[in-house]
Amino acid sequence: MLDIQKITKIFNINTVNENVALNGLSLTLNDGDFVTVIGGNGSGKSTMLNVIAGVYTAEDGKIIIDGTDVTGLPEHKRAPFIGRVFQDPMMGTAASMEIEENLALAMRRGQRRGLGWGITQTERKKYFGLLKELGLGLEERLTSKVGLLSGGQRQAITLLMATMKKPKLLLLDEHTAALDPKTAAKVLELTEEIVSRDKLTTLMVTHNMKDAIAHGNRLIMLYKGRIVIDVEGEAKSKLTVEKLLKMFSDVSGSDEADDKLLLS
Amino acid sequence: MKTARILIAPLVCFLMIFSMTACKEKAPDSYVVGISQLVQHVALDAATKGFRDALEEKLGDKVTFTEKNAQGDIPTCTTIANSLVSSKVDLILANATPALQAAAAATADIPILGTSITEYGVALGLDDFDGTVGGNVSGTSDLAPLDQQAQMIKDLFPDAEKVGLLYCSAEANSLYQVNTVKGYLETLGYSCTLYPFSDSNDLAAIATTAANDSDVIYVPTDNTVASNTGIIDNICRPAKVPVIAGEKGICEGCGVATLSIDYYDLGYATGLMAYKILTGASDISEMPVEYAPNFEKMYNAEICEELSITVPEGYSPIEG
Amino acid sequence: MTLNPLDLIAQMPGALAQGLIWGIMAIGVYITYKILNIADLTVDGSLCTGGAVCVVMIMNGYGVTLSLVAAFAAGLITGLATGIFHVFFGISAILAGILTQLALWSVNLVIMGRANQSINVNNYDLLVSLRYLQEVMKGARPFYWSPIFVVGIFVLIIVAVLYWFFGTELGSSVRATGANANMARAQGINTDSNKILGLMLSNGMVALSGALLTQYQGFADINMGRGAIVIGLAAVIIGEILFFKFFKNFALRMLSVVLGAVIYFVVIQTVLWLNFDSNYLKLFSALVVAIFLAVPYWKKKFTPFSPKRKGDADCA
Repeated sequence: MLDIQKITKIFNINTVNENVALNGLSLTLNDGDFVTVIGGNGSGKSTMLNVIAGVYTAEDGKIIIDGTDVTGLPEHKRAPFIGRVFQDPMMGTAASMEIEENLALAMRRGQRRGLGWGITQTERKKYFGLLKELGLGLEERLTSKVGLLSGGQRQAITLLMATMKKPKLLLLDEHTAALDPKTAAKVLELTEEIVSRDKLTTLMVTHNMKDAIAHGNRLIMLYKGRIVIDVEGEAKSKLTVEKLLKMFSDVSGSDEADDKLLLS
Repeated sequence: MKTARILIAPLVCFLMIFSMTACKEKAPDSYVVGISQLVQHVALDAATKGFRDALEEKLGDKVTFTEKNAQGDIPTCTTIANSLVSSKVDLILANATPALQAAAAATADIPILGTSITEYGVALGLDDFDGTVGGNVSGTSDLAPLDQQAQMIKDLFPDAEKVGLLYCSAEANSLYQVNTVKGYLETLGYSCTLYPFSDSNDLAAIATTAANDSDVIYVPTDNTVASNTGIIDNICRPAKVPVIAGEKGICEGCGVATLSIDYYDLGYATGLMAYKILTGASDISEMPVEYAPNFEKMYNAEICEELSITVPEGYSPIEG
Repeated sequence: MTLNPLDLIAQMPGALAQGLIWGIMAIGVYITYKILNIADLTVDGSLCTGGAVCVVMIMNGYGVTLSLVAAFAAGLITGLATGIFHVFFGISAILAGILTQLALWSVNLVIMGRANQSINVNNYDLLVSLRYLQEVMKGARPFYWSPIFVVGIFVLIIVAVLYWFFGTELGSSVRATGANANMARAQGINTDSNKILGLMLSNGMVALSGALLTQYQGFADINMGRGAIVIGLAAVIIGEILFFKFFKNFALRMLSVVLGAVIYFVVIQTVLWLNFDSNYLKLFSALVVAIFLAVPYWKKKFTPFSPKRKGDADCA
């Protein structure tokens, strides 16, 4: 489903602050893979997602989604293939617009937007049903402005918007990091539900090693812009945090496991 | 507070309806004259003063003035016109073209006298302007004989070859003046170039170019030039390029000589016209546009001396 | 000179008419400033462009309707220019607007052929004129000639059309572009083309307003747009601060913006009526507008706390 070939992304090229964020990174995802991505700060996790989505253009390499080479496409043209949830709950929705308007925007992802009416009555019934499944009481508040909602509620809606139209690829960029533990757990639960129900190919970046091990069928770890650990299936289910940490220091040749990795 | 807001709407409506029926009390034989002036500068101010003096001399206590200045803001000209017409003044003095246009759009009944307007046909979109505007409009024009101004350049600078004509492209009357003067100058054998600037911000740059490429510079009666003579002087005097000005105020600021009309006299003449209209002695629709009563050849002694220009006979120095 | 309140009242219809015409321009500014989050300085030029095009068309014998349509179209083009500068040349929005406005100076001069072009209500069949206002008040013309009525109808039609447009898929995507461009792109919205569309629509409104203004005041002048962005922003902000708390509906908010413009011109008319030394005109206008804007703020600060409802958050 996803084929990344030797992607290199360098920030501030040829300056004092030059930073090689992705260093010839290659990755292939099969249909239905649910991959968790971990790594220290600056390892390139978010950059990788952003390059796939088209927010950044890579210096070198190719990105192929379900057989289509999207490397040259701008962000909004790749959007039909991709659903995204961001770390910042503010980023995934338009605060000044209503819940149903946000959902309607997501519904039309990949379609030409013409002068048809923005939201139809049939749609509203559909959104009601979808929101009810989330179990957060949001279906009663279809016309509330999103800005009134809490961070967790907004992430739930962003998740819904990202998965409503069964994207080929779901990109989750530390989407529970800014939430309190209870809400984070709830959102993760929703994520698991939706991904397994729709069999979505998913890349989930997380700082939390336990979550990375508990969810998904494959785990990769990034270090200095490259993939240094790639574990799947049986091997992954046998992982523990201690084993993971040891693998990491073996591969990176240092004790460089940062606080977040250790403490989560 | 919300209830207060709900009350305001019908209150405003009521006031509007009431205003349509309201009448004004007025003492008989007394006149209210409205003055709409575009912007403040020496020439326009002088014209207004002349106008007021004339009417005060003739009518004494029987005349009161409502004087409004738009401070150069075009939309305000319309607001002022609305203000004067709604207050039902007896006569309107419109000082400068946009003020005249706004007033003429506002009323076809109240007599309007323009002043400091160069060309009425152009200002009011009249195709066959023959000197009388008609309707409720007349006034005075500050057009000095442009052929005599061109001749003045010939008198003072017979050996010069290139004349630069500096003017503001935003001024309605300036293009007309410079084109006419250009025609006369070319007949007299000069080669002419136009140097338009858009406002006081690019005046310096354009003036510098003009000074570099010209032997003599001509500036017409132009409001923006009049407000910025300092800039022109600071460029032309060091460059030793003499400036012939279209009117006295400009000449005082930066010019060598001018064929001057006195804006005070122009305003005064307008005041006399107003007196005739107010007292019913004349009908405005039949009054032709009047021109400045006197032309005087004047020179600026200080600048002439610095540029070593000898002034021929017949010129008087500008005082003060 | 004594101040006659009846005078002020008599002057109000004129202020109302001027405010309504500029209100259309304020709606244009609202689209770029509030919906798209762009401070668009093109308007100083496009106001005059609309006026210039309208005048030239009317003088060449085309009817008023066609002239207004042409003015609107000209406004669309000016918005397109700014959009191209911003999106394809990569110039920041404010600077792009300034560049277009600069270029429009020359363009407008060329269209008019001169710096100032009068359009005499005696000679042409104008749709609106300050003259008509006076005549309706005197009873010489039926009420539907009144500029207040005519422009009022315009405003209602424009608000209705825009309300419909921003409810469509395309309109919603334009709103999303302004609300959260990142999210919009993630939903497959071409934010670049939407910004251009917004700029075009906005300047079309402004040019239309300029066309009406030219007829109303009887002339088009190269300087007529100078400071227009300030008036537009003042109208939007006055409308926002005074009315947005009560009007959450999009259509009503656009009407508030028009009301803001009306209030602005009522203020100016009043300051003129107060007959202060004309040097202080602009200072007093600014002060009065400032006080208007401060009143809701002071109210909040100085009234004792009394909770009306729990959890009442205003977030738009």
